[in-house]
Amino acid sequence: MNSVFDFKDTVDIAWCPGCGNFSILKALKLAINELNIAQDKLVMVSGIGQAAKTPQYIRANFFNGLHGRSLPAATGIKASNPELTVIAVSGDGCTYGEGGNHFIHTIRRNPDITNIVHNNMVYGLTKGQASPTSERGFKTPVQVTGVYLEPFNPMAVAVSLNASFVARAYAADIEQTKEIIKKAVNNRGYSLVDIFQPCVSFNKINTYQWYKENTYYLDNNHDPYDREKAMHLAFENNRFPLGIFYINNTNKTFEENLPAYKDNKLPLFQRSNIRKKIKEFLD
Amino acid sequence: MNKEFMSGNHSFGEAAIRAGCKHYFGYPITPQNELGEYMSEHLPKAGGVFLQSESETAAINMVEGASAVGARVMTSSSSPGISLKQEGISYLAGLELPAVIVNVMRGGPGLGDISAAQGDYFQATRGGGHGDYRTPVYAPASVQEIADLTYKAFDTADKYRTPVMVLSDGLIGQMKEPVVFPKKIEKLPEKEWALRGMGSGPSRLMASFHIDPAVIERHNWKLFRKYQEIEKNETMYETYMTDDADIIAIAYGCTARIAKGAIKRVRKDGIKAGLIRPITLWPFPSQIIKDTASKIKKYIVFEMSTGQMLDDVLLAVEGRIKVQFHGRPGGAIPTPAEFARIIYREYQLESKS
Ligand SMILES: Cc1ncc(C[n+]2csc(CCOP(=O)(O)OP(=O)(O)O)c2C)c(N)n1
Ligand code: SF4
Ligand SMILES: [Mg+2]
Repeated sequence: MNSVFDFKDTVDIAWCPGCGNFSILKALKLAINELNIAQDKLVMVSGIGQAAKTPQYIRANFFNGLHGRSLPAATGIKASNPELTVIAVSGDGCTYGEGGNHFIHTIRRNPDITNIVHNNMVYGLTKGQASPTSERGFKTPVQVTGVYLEPFNPMAVAVSLNASFVARAYAADIEQTKEIIKKAVNNRGYSLVDIFQPCVSFNKINTYQWYKENTYYLDNNHDPYDREKAMHLAFENNRFPLGIFYINNTNKTFEENLPAYKDNKLPLFQRSNIRKKIKEFLD
Repeated sequence: MNKEFMSGNHSFGEAAIRAGCKHYFGYPITPQNELGEYMSEHLPKAGGVFLQSESETAAINMVEGASAVGARVMTSSSSPGISLKQEGISYLAGLELPAVIVNVMRGGPGLGDISAAQGDYFQATRGGGHGDYRTPVYAPASVQEIADLTYKAFDTADKYRTPVMVLSDGLIGQMKEPVVFPKKIEKLPEKEWALRGMGSGPSRLMASFHIDPAVIERHNWKLFRKYQEIEKNETMYETYMTDDADIIAIAYGCTARIAKGAIKRVRKDGIKAGLIRPITLWPFPSQIIKDTASKIKKYIVFEMSTGQMLDDVLLAVEGRIKVQFHGRPGGAIPTPAEFARIIYREYQLESKS
């Protein structure tokens, strides 16, 4: 595949061989290519972690924020230039742990952004501590007797907060992941795509084999506008459903709620009359 | 006592446990993860609590809670995570709660890198959080000193009811050296101020807010007097080959070790160089620097930053003699040969003038 989002030269990718992130990168690049997003209309945002490196490998403008803070930075970008397609990519630790409070309140604020979370159920970059989504009993050099915390359930949290779009994908299925990402980007409002991602170095429980055995795709019978059903799916943990759990298009987006963009969609920085207006006001 | 061969990061943990630390709250970050690993394994065995929090902010607030009920408590992180702890450190200072905070510095600003650096000197010594407070800061230069100063930090924290920082870096944190640990503490100090459940006595309130500025002003002056006490009693430094020196390097932490290496080299060529190594960064050993200034030609300040401790040196020297600076910021690690070159150069300049 050749796209404007590919680097002309080969980039040095700092992931372990076999890491699920490679497939997510591929699906993401295919998706933004197929969506025909103009290169000057896309901004990628991330925090810190293995997942957060993803935008480095895409030829797009990119804001690399602090660990846990990708969503507030993405909101700021959207507030200043709603014309942009904003895709925030980070890991489960970054998004649900350090940035957990931002996750909750970004869903409530509902900016029109896509939030891709590489969920490998571990802290990859810092070498294998438990993350908020690690399963009970998961042993690490820090959780020496195993995790005893209830795993964080991003799907249930997002549905309960009436998020605009809630989906789960699986890294290794590039075609399906690509399709889900495309729908998420096209959705108007905050769109969560939690992607199960094997970490071959530090998660020996949730392996490629494990995901194969413990996931299934939702079929056409699922009505994504049914919130109660979506909630049921979010709680399924016998086998984990993949696909679009929930869509809610009834809430206005953050940008639509801003008076500054009510009658004028032009980004604030492009409005030349602002200075004049300030002067008039001061005079 | 047996000699052990241990990394700096593990030694923080062992020393803390021996000092009676019963609680460790932290969040992973390179280059100090081995400290969390050590605590997770050994603290529960010593009857304590290890907890990996959801963020550094959570960890420092857990520290407040544990300290408020009178426990010896520690948290650790590296530079970006220490920034997140600042509001809590300010709060601990305001409430006069003892705690030990370890910073294993890395390159900055922002996320920087994961190499050793000394860019957090201002943050550590100026009170990185808001308000009029100071934090005693110990700067170990070896694994042995990590053990000794971490142990001591708990005593200082309790004695003065203040948060105390141990400021190290990725180099000493990850380095392995022989170390002898202090004996396990037997009796911890009484803390009659701790929140232990009211019982029949008067209720205790721990809050740092008061609507009346006069109350807060009084509180600030009280803290100020405490800081004066700490300055008087707790300043620590090492001098190395300063007796006959014409030119003296000032450096702390791993930079001081590198400077020592450089001094050994130039001494072979007959250059009379020495070293003053601040062990406490606040309180800063201003007096010895001031007193020595009248006996030598020049100071050279070495730091792994663009010059932060330099300010304290200049304040101490008060313009008496020249102060030259050489720094490597952002995680670049200098070599003894590099420092030696600087000393040669400055020495030659001095003999010409
Ligand atoms: C403020 C701050 N705290 C901690 C870190 C260290 N850190 C970097 S990435 C990371 C966790 C990464 O986990 P996750 O978000 O799940 O991403 P993964 O590496 O697994 O893709 C941590 C704790 C940091 N860089 N900044
Ligand atoms: S540590 Fe895990 S998540 Fe990180 S690159 Fe390696 S396999 Fe991927
Ligand atoms: Mg992760």
